[in-house]
Amino acid sequence: MNRWIPLLRRTVQALSFFFLLYLVIRTAFPLELKIPVDLYLRLDPFVAIISILTHKGIIERMFPAFGVLLLVMIFGNFFCGWFCPMGAVIDFFDRLLFREKKQTKPFDDQPLRRFRYGLFIFSVIAGLMAFQVMYLLDPISLLTRTLVISFFPPVIFVFNHLLPQVQSILPKSPFIVSSIPLPVFKVNLFIFIFFIGILALGVIRKRFWCRYLCPLGTLFSVFSRLRILKRSVTNDCTDCQKCVKECPVGAIPERAPQSYRQQDCVSCFKCLECPPGAVSFHFNRPRWKTVDGVNLSRRYVLGSFAFACVSALMIKTNPLQSESGLKNNRLVRPPGSLPEEEFVAICTGCGECLKVCPNNALQSTFLEAGLSGLYTPRLVSRIGYCEEFCNFCGRVCPTEAIRPLSLEEKRLIQMGVAHIDKTRCIAWDTEKICLVCNEQCSYQAIVGDEKKRPIVKEEKCTGCGICENKCPVDGESAIIVYSSGVQKKLKPENSNNKG
Amino acid sequence: MRIADCGIRNWKINLKLEEEDAISMDNSSIKKLTRRQFIKGAAAVTAAPLIMEAFPFYGTLAHGSSEADLVIAKSGSPAQLLQAAMAPLGGMGRFVKKGQRVVIKANIAWARTPEQACTNNPELFSSLIKMCYEAGAKRVAVWDHTCDNYQFCFSRSGLKDAGQRAGADVLSGHGRNVYKKVEIPKGKKLKTAEVLRDVLEADVFINLPIPKQHFATELTLGMKNLIGIVWDMEQLHKIDLHQCIADINTLRKPDLVVVDAIRILTTNGPKGPGKTEDPVEVIASTDIVAADAYSASFFKHPKTGKPFRPEEVKFVKLASDLGLGEIDLAKVRVKKVSAT
Repeated sequence: MNRWIPLLRRTVQALSFFFLLYLVIRTAFPLELKIPVDLYLRLDPFVAIISILTHKGIIERMFPAFGVLLLVMIFGNFFCGWFCPMGAVIDFFDRLLFREKKQTKPFDDQPLRRFRYGLFIFSVIAGLMAFQVMYLLDPISLLTRTLVISFFPPVIFVFNHLLPQVQSILPKSPFIVSSIPLPVFKVNLFIFIFFIGILALGVIRKRFWCRYLCPLGTLFSVFSRLRILKRSVTNDCTDCQKCVKECPVGAIPERAPQSYRQQDCVSCFKCLECPPGAVSFHFNRPRWKTVDGVNLSRRYVLGSFAFACVSALMIKTNPLQSESGLKNNRLVRPPGSLPEEEFVAICTGCGECLKVCPNNALQSTFLEAGLSGLYTPRLVSRIGYCEEFCNFCGRVCPTEAIRPLSLEEKRLIQMGVAHIDKTRCIAWDTEKICLVCNEQCSYQAIVGDEKKRPIVKEEKCTGCGICENKCPVDGESAIIVYSSGVQKKLKPENSNNKG
Repeated sequence: MRIADCGIRNWKINLKLEEEDAISMDNSSIKKLTRRQFIKGAAAVTAAPLIMEAFPFYGTLAHGSSEADLVIAKSGSPAQLLQAAMAPLGGMGRFVKKGQRVVIKANIAWARTPEQACTNNPELFSSLIKMCYEAGAKRVAVWDHTCDNYQFCFSRSGLKDAGQRAGADVLSGHGRNVYKKVEIPKGKKLKTAEVLRDVLEADVFINLPIPKQHFATELTLGMKNLIGIVWDMEQLHKIDLHQCIADINTLRKPDLVVVDAIRILTTNGPKGPGKTEDPVEVIASTDIVAADAYSASFFKHPKTGKPFRPEEVKFVKLASDLGLGEIDLAKVRVKKVSAT
């Protein structure tokens, strides 16, 4: 029985990862999956706690996360060992690339173990001060972001290049289909390198990221001290050190293999492969006390606290922050977004909305929204426009930073207003009849004057950007959407556009 | 009708077989015209004129020749209108032969519902596809380069469903790989364009436009519909839209134009939604300029308040100048029929 546990665990991990992958792939038109496509993010208590604290309100979508937290109190930190898709990836690459590595020189990793608690305190405090460093580190958000931004476009690119080849191989097949529109994201390389960096840390220690950095793991560690399912070792133990070497997270101290650091244990049950069969797991009374507890001195905690405060203040006083975000009027947020400051605080940058956007209109920011707005979505109309009958981004946002709106509501949200650059507009600058913007406008917000030149009606414009997108002027469009600061609701009577 | 049609066709095939028999008498595997088949065929031929009273157009279908170049069918369901409009032209069999590939350029450009009359009527659309298959088409593909996102256009207009149920492939030109760069030798201003490959390579090309008011070009008619086979449509506005519409139409003349005037959009075109009218007409023609010249009269000129004259729509005039068809309806054999 015990021999099957590692195999079972590996299967569960693989299934969990592929399920996440499947959900990410299905985060697309027509979005009719019964399971919420952002399920993993909704199960993430770290995101839940911080977004609820910063939102200062209840986010219903995040409730399942507390169920996971409850389970952690029973089974210990099983999520990291069995279900975390990021953990699965790290385990896979550790096995694939760093298997040969013999860890002959065990080093005292107590200071490092403490580091993730410091990082956790830092991210919570900074998070509460609206500097969202934590979301860069949250494993689920990190993984979906990496998959969507860095891995999805290359896959589509390869597919599109293979498609004509396959079609030419097919004998006498007249069947040709369009290639998939290639999604593009300019931050893809940064995100890719960050991800590779995390995997590369495996060269130092198995699951380096999970042991010493992951903030979600830290949260689980704290709660898994209340665990009921506990490891116990009988007197048959021969001190062979097998479990010490095998433990993927190094939760068993070398000096005393009979005990274990219950906060670090990920319940992978690998230590059940004990030659004398001395190890077993039983339900028992929870005990807060543990061996090798983290030495969180007052100085350390206060240090992390202060560091977080100062960093957050730096970010707040950084000119990038004050110039962009609130003042950058080219920064158009997705329809139904919370007001800018709150949006930046709650958005996890998970990339779900970027994936689901049918026109690739939503782009990940780099520094345009300030340092704290890193990897948040913005509408870049020249790349894509906001589709009229689409409210997908609000439907997949796990933290409701983009509020879920009905189609009727969404079509009345004013994200920005289009402005015509009359010196560049074909119709205004030359005598030609163009009016692509008038033809394309879904809300009849662009009308033509008697000379067939376009004029924008602000009271109808939603800032969807279809005019900017389709404008035939080379380079920068002659009609540009500028953000209207806070998103407004248009008066329905102005819109003669009934669904 | 079907009996008559089949009878005649069998008859023709059998005659052909007999000729072949005469050449290779020893080839016993080829069937002769049996008595039963002969009687069936003869009965069909004799019955056809009798049935013709009840179905006025099917008689002409049996003859397989056309008696008009532009047929206007009024009053009836979309399927009936199409049947009625096709008959005087010589039936679908005149255009689609057995085993041919048919490409239909429909108007699925916008994410609008059928009631808003910005996209084709689904019933007419599917009966056109069915007619092609009945005439023996091997494959019918429907193409459009949509303006809104193709997924939303296809689902909201209901045309993907309707087309697929009728057995056609409803395809969108959102990928550049389905286009082919071609020279336009007859084009005045547009010399090269990337055009849907399938449209150029298909055996039969059918244009299925819906007439709409259009702010930039006054009207959207059959020829304007062909802008949707071009890859960078918006760029044409930069050159000279009217001339480009005419130029694109020199590339491949549609074998058949079916104008979907069951419900038309008269304001806020081409995307709408706006006011609609229900002329309940289907116009079938082999001449795209004539079809456009006729469909222009559905709309009132904003300045004069009178129906558009064909010359008032600039691209129709330009196309006529290029010799693409007849703008003067007096010179075209026009036939008006009633479907019921």
